[in-house]
Amino acid sequence: MAESRDYNALNDDAFRQEVRVFFEKEYPAEFRYLLRKGRMSEMRGWWDAQYRRGWAGPNWPREHGGMGLDAGKMVIWLEEIERWGVARPPDQGVVQVGPIIMQYGTEAQKKYFLEPTLKGEFVWCQGYSEPNAGSDLASLRTEAVIDGDHFVITGQKIWTTMAHDASHIYTLVRTDKQAKKKQEGISFLLIDLNTPGILVRPIRNIAGHEEFCEVFFDKARVPRDRLVGKLNDGWTVAKALLGFERLSIGSPRRPQYALRRLEMIARAKGLFDDAGFVDRFIALKLDIEDLSSLYERYVAIAKRGEALGPDVSMLKIWAMDTWQSLTELLVETGAEEGVVPGEHDINGVNTDFLTPFYYARPGTIYGGSNEIQRNIMAKYVLGLPGH
Amino acid sequence: MTTSQAAASADSEQAALLKQSVTDFIQRGTDVARARKLRDTVPGFDRKVWAQMAEFGWTGILVPEDSGGLGLGLREMGIVLEGLARVLTPEPLNAAAVLAGTAIRESGNRKLKDELLPALVEGKLLPALAWQEQAGDLDGGSPALSARPFEGALKLSGEKRFVQGGLGADGYAVTARLDGGVALIWVPASAGGVSAEPLPQADGRSAATVRLKDVVVPKANVLAEGPAVTAALQRAFDDTRVMVGAELLGTMTRALDMSVEYMKTRVQFGKPIGSFQALAHRAVNLHLQKELSSAALDAIVAELDRGASPERRTVLASRLKARCSEAGTRVTREAIQIHGAIGFTDEYDVGLYTKRAMVLAAWLGNAHAHRRRYAALAPAEE
Repeated sequence: MAESRDYNALNDDAFRQEVRVFFEKEYPAEFRYLLRKGRMSEMRGWWDAQYRRGWAGPNWPREHGGMGLDAGKMVIWLEEIERWGVARPPDQGVVQVGPIIMQYGTEAQKKYFLEPTLKGEFVWCQGYSEPNAGSDLASLRTEAVIDGDHFVITGQKIWTTMAHDASHIYTLVRTDKQAKKKQEGISFLLIDLNTPGILVRPIRNIAGHEEFCEVFFDKARVPRDRLVGKLNDGWTVAKALLGFERLSIGSPRRPQYALRRLEMIARAKGLFDDAGFVDRFIALKLDIEDLSSLYERYVAIAKRGEALGPDVSMLKIWAMDTWQSLTELLVETGAEEGVVPGEHDINGVNTDFLTPFYYARPGTIYGGSNEIQRNIMAKYVLGLPGH
Repeated sequence: MTTSQAAASADSEQAALLKQSVTDFIQRGTDVARARKLRDTVPGFDRKVWAQMAEFGWTGILVPEDSGGLGLGLREMGIVLEGLARVLTPEPLNAAAVLAGTAIRESGNRKLKDELLPALVEGKLLPALAWQEQAGDLDGGSPALSARPFEGALKLSGEKRFVQGGLGADGYAVTARLDGGVALIWVPASAGGVSAEPLPQADGRSAATVRLKDVVVPKANVLAEGPAVTAALQRAFDDTRVMVGAELLGTMTRALDMSVEYMKTRVQFGKPIGSFQALAHRAVNLHLQKELSSAALDAIVAELDRGASPERRTVLASRLKARCSEAGTRVTREAIQIHGAIGFTDEYDVGLYTKRAMVLAAWLGNAHAHRRRYAALAPAEE
């Protein structure tokens, strides 16, 4: 691993240039503007290249082998990712669980988990949702009972993205069934998926892909030292990164990719002579332009190091709604070809109409459905009474 | 402190002062009740209040300092217009100080500008831009109103429609066909043959139909000729569109505030209606539209004030006018729905906002027109 440098000391242009050169040289061309998430098996080479450069953890502090980028440099990093069309590898470990371990974990946990996570040896998935705890996450029932030095875990997680690609799962489990508020009896556990008693079963989605899974726990024994934060305080731990997640999920990046794709196809099909199409296309384009302006407001707040308020939920609502509308228009643009899976040659432009459509579909469901985001906004931003 | 930091803090100080002046002004008695009283009257605003606005410096925000103005930007103008729109202030600040003021400012006739601009700043002169002859026109490039040489002067004949701020104006910057080209000519309202007839609009304010019948003005009244007219008009139209966006933002903000407040207090089925998800989610969607408008306005005004090419100004103005027209009409219409029957009464204020938003949305091109213009002008994605 290359020695960690102080990237924040570079001026913005120099840093941007360095990132740009690296992406252009190392990022596999066939994965540019990928319309879905990358899988670890296909992105291993890219991950290793980042790790060798010391760039696998842009958001991680240097003491843990990260780049230690401040908010301003982080924005440049993300802008360059967007510009070059760099896909998201299975980065839950780096984006989510790593920072959680740094903030709430013990020294032993940091030592054991962080380095392999950065290397991509530990690949993480998020075990939050359950069959009866989706939007109402705090109703989760997967139970962890203390037995000597272990938690004994029984229950089921579902919609666990890429669990079949993962080596580890970070979970919310119930450790106190008697707690007065349901949020209070929950703990945050790190679990090795190789533990006996754990079964991962992929679920086929409407795209025909196996991206999310069920994870079954049948008296799986997990060492007690895998508890992060205090017992029964897992809700606090999980909430810590929510604001940042909503900023990243509300980025205009995904709809911008879809727009670029739609524009290429529309041009190839001569649709810019169709006034009806143009009005819809431009309306969506402006939806993204204005989303970008709104997004920049929150980025500026994050850059100043201030906490993001509940109104950041707006970004997610608008980004996902707009993204979906674009992919719907893309399918429509394809006419009969739009509903035939696979790549099509549209007057020299290769495109897949259905993959972006399917990829955008759960966007309004995951990460707190858009309806849940609206509930949050109604209560905490508009101050409306609860239902 | 670096220069740019110093500039930024001076800028926010200026902005804070303007915000304060708007608040003071509103508290001094320009409120919705006054707007109601002036509905369906001619000229529909109060010249004494106009003089107060000039005292605050608002008429001179966009006028250069060497012409007696404050030499500030659209950001400052936008703060004032957005604030005034919240209480439906009827004085035509945007039409006179932005639309007419910018057209005059961007013209080449130094001597005439030195006369008109300081008078505008002082509140003594209320100018209007008389350019439009047909509904839906976006650029005013080919006026039919004619100006002909007449005994060493110019004689003008023709008609201008939809002249905002045209009633009670002291003079008109009129676009005319002259020698086969276009000219912008200053015509005092008092000149013989000038008449302004009220054109009532949905919001109870009247635009004017301005008729010129053999009006004779000296050649020195030509503000600009040829391509200079097109450039001055384009600048005036686009800057005004952005400022109409600010007015729409103020209009929708107040209508939404009223609606959210109503949702907290109106009880049906034993609960405040804001506790019902169908309404709560509707309000959130409207809030989102308002915030998109506000974020776009801030970003666009910042870019314009830094200095942008005419082409870029046009693209940005269309982007903002499309968003704010769409959002402003939608938020204010749905505000009626949230209120139920009371929202449809003339007595309740929310309908005044709906009608105001409709008029502002139609002025200088509605959302559809601007999406079409944006499509024709905006560069393709890389």
